[in-house]
Amino acid sequence: MKIRIWLGMILIGSFLGTGGCRKKTESPKVDLLLSAYDSEPDSVDPQKVIPLGYQAAQGKRIYYQHCVWCHADASPAGPSNRSNLTPVPTLLTDGATLNAESDEYLQNIITLGGSAMGKSAMMPPYGKMLSAEEIRSLIAFTRAVAEPPYQPAVRPASQYAAR
Amino acid sequence: MPAEDMGKLSYRMRLVFAVSSAVFLIVLAISPFKDSWREWKHYKRGYLSFAQSRPDTKVLISDYRPGIDQIWLPELNATDRCTTCHQGITIANLAGNSVPQPFRAHPPIPHNVRDWGCVICHRGQGPATEVAEAHESTLAWEQPILPTRFVQASCGSCHEQDLAETPQLTRGRQLLASLNCEGCHRLRNIDRPAMLGPDLSSVGTKVSREWIYKWLKEPQTTLDKDGNIVVNGYVSEEEPRMPKFRLDDSELKALSAYLSVQAATPIGASKIDPGVVARWSKNPELVSLGEVRFRQMFCSTCHALSVTRAGESKLIGGNIGPELTKVGSKVKPEWLIAWLRDPQGYLPHTSMPRYGWSDEDLYKVTQYITTKLSDSDLLNGVPQLGQPTDEELQQGRRLFLEKGCGSCHAISGVSPQKDFGPDLTALGGKNASELSFGTSKIPQNLVSYIQAKLQDPLSVNPSARMPQYKWNQADLDAVTTALLSMKGAPSTSALQNLVVPKTRAAFSPAGNFAQVYDRYKCFVCHKFNGYGGDLAPDLTYEGSRAQRQWLKDFLKNPQTLRPTLVLRMPQFNMSDKDAATLADYMSVVLQHPSANPESVDTKQFTPALAMLGKQLYEVKYQCQACHTIGGSGGYVGPNLSNAGNWLTPSWTESWLRNAQALLPGTMEPRRNFTEEEIKALTAYLMTLRAAIKPQTSASLAGSSATVQGAGK
Repeated sequence: MKIRIWLGMILIGSFLGTGGCRKKTESPKVDLLLSAYDSEPDSVDPQKVIPLGYQAAQGKRIYYQHCVWCHADASPAGPSNRSNLTPVPTLLTDGATLNAESDEYLQNIITLGGSAMGKSAMMPPYGKMLSAEEIRSLIAFTRAVAEPPYQPAVRPASQYAAR
Repeated sequence: MPAEDMGKLSYRMRLVFAVSSAVFLIVLAISPFKDSWREWKHYKRGYLSFAQSRPDTKVLISDYRPGIDQIWLPELNATDRCTTCHQGITIANLAGNSVPQPFRAHPPIPHNVRDWGCVICHRGQGPATEVAEAHESTLAWEQPILPTRFVQASCGSCHEQDLAETPQLTRGRQLLASLNCEGCHRLRNIDRPAMLGPDLSSVGTKVSREWIYKWLKEPQTTLDKDGNIVVNGYVSEEEPRMPKFRLDDSELKALSAYLSVQAATPIGASKIDPGVVARWSKNPELVSLGEVRFRQMFCSTCHALSVTRAGESKLIGGNIGPELTKVGSKVKPEWLIAWLRDPQGYLPHTSMPRYGWSDEDLYKVTQYITTKLSDSDLLNGVPQLGQPTDEELQQGRRLFLEKGCGSCHAISGVSPQKDFGPDLTALGGKNASELSFGTSKIPQNLVSYIQAKLQDPLSVNPSARMPQYKWNQADLDAVTTALLSMKGAPSTSALQNLVVPKTRAAFSPAGNFAQVYDRYKCFVCHKFNGYGGDLAPDLTYEGSRAQRQWLKDFLKNPQTLRPTLVLRMPQFNMSDKDAATLADYMSVVLQHPSANPESVDTKQFTPALAMLGKQLYEVKYQCQACHTIGGSGGYVGPNLSNAGNWLTPSWTESWLRNAQALLPGTMEPRRNFTEEEIKALTAYLMTLRAAIKPQTSASLAGSSATVQGAGK
């Protein structure tokens, strides 16, 4: 009898050993707004909220400090300077225009100003005021709020790639 | 069993040995098998195959380590193995949402991720090697990952000084200060505001017992049938400073009785010259002229009124002072006159300036307030309360102390209780087991606890004394962030060394200037050396920027310099002497250390140089995009039509050279002007000497936008 008990215990023990194996846990549902650093209401549908990562959130801050006065139809102070200017500045949310421009082009025109890029001299250069990192975050914000949404160009595979 | 008997074992015994040996072998084999299927190894293999699928494989696997990867920061008491699975956090190629987690790169932040590890900011269980244990709270470990929405709290644990990068945290700290949470709780790094709730020592001279009853029952805010927030009858999204206390009818009667007999100081001078009254009281235009004067005095800079346009009611005006839509039915008329004459006589800590009223203006404006800004139905539904009884007075005094009213409101002879609410200095570091969730069904973690407690204090503790506040989602998240940042005193000296203390802004002028400055409450809107409000331009270096005569004229008759912004500087009816005192002090004391008025010789500003400057202004740099001269130009920067009378030449030159050095954060773009261009532009600006037309009252009537952050 004793032997049977021993055998039984060994078997139970080995089952327990294997039973403790990893069970597949379901990954928790991610709430987009809880996992966003900041958010911005959509320019077309105010009910929709666009979640922003850290970089785009910094861009949003700089946008509301320097750019909103001319690149939006309303500024935090009420009316916008946009209607005063000829040529009329592009809206920051105007994806139809800005999605076609490369990150490098946007970085250049913000850094060097309009006249350096053959555009209106009314766009001042910000290269001495904003760091390259800040300008990159501004572009990240532009991409995040673009309407229609920005689709990054597929990166062409380099011919020198490993495979 | 003796050795010689070993061969005599029964068949059964041999079987038992054989089976148990086999089982032990199997069990032994299980453990390496289990080990090779550990969760983190799965991600290690996943990373390799992910890298294989991309063209930049070589870059991605250049730093590949097959084992458990660990960042150990002994001084900060932090160990984390997050990089075991999050293998790409420092690889720039893996930035962007298109890269799947856990391989995505960390966005560029001011701290190097490898130097700081992950749990210092994101919390969670650093040493864990399983997804669930690392991210969530388990029985063994209790700090779950902080949702990114609140991650600014971690910045706040070390950075007591506000950062531009963390607007939500800054907003939360401002709310904790302005709602006077310090009145009841101990908090870290939050100042008590100068303006607490109003001093109630003489509140009986201001309002009736019925009004107090109504106010205590519904302080400002109610919900209408559609669920909108209604402030005294119109919709508002402003958070009221006064929270709602849960008081029953007898408590309301007792408290209103107690407060209505508070009359420590009698009403000040409330008589208006009878000659003025006789002359004006029959005039049919009395009230409409009062309204014009009300607008001209820019009361709406600080006070809001409800305006109905196209069937939609909204509050228009500032939120520094209380909204006034129905104030005529709230306060007693004689109190109103005395208050407008000398607000500090009733409330020593008020932000309201003391205007130089003539009796005529005062009569017109008070008549306007009591007839137009009133509502005869305001006190409908409030029972007639009559004279307070002794019993009610005693109960009222007891309630005043019990409910913690004394934490925000002073009454002479009543000292508030110390530490009325719990100490919250270490709330942000608490584990879920240290919190009491009561019977509520919320998730058992700190963030849900704080939010539930703020939204409905009774939900987690039915006997809570904390009153009911009203939050919108953004403010709720902001306050939660600020509370989460309070993790108590740093646990190690290395952590203590990381704390960036808050710089205390101070501006304490003396002499005649101090008296005038305090009378007109300049600091409510303007900043001086970091101290003061941010509604209007920073005046720290105003003496270097503006010419003395211009300052004096402006104070006597303020006019707007920025065409988009509604002028909000009130017409103080300042005496010549007061204006001269302010202008003198500013032009002598409020000087920028590097702006030397002698550095510019205006004799070299020849007409030819000015002509060159004009060309640079209009063609090369197109300054008219933002600045107006004469009638044309942009709305962003100040109007320069009168720059020659307004600005000093030395300030203008330094400004063109590097505006940010003079006023950090200003919007003026920094250009690559040559020294000659700077001279030419200054010469041109100094030729502009056209007085700007003062705004008429007609244009004021139409202008009503509230403007924030106009000082930049």
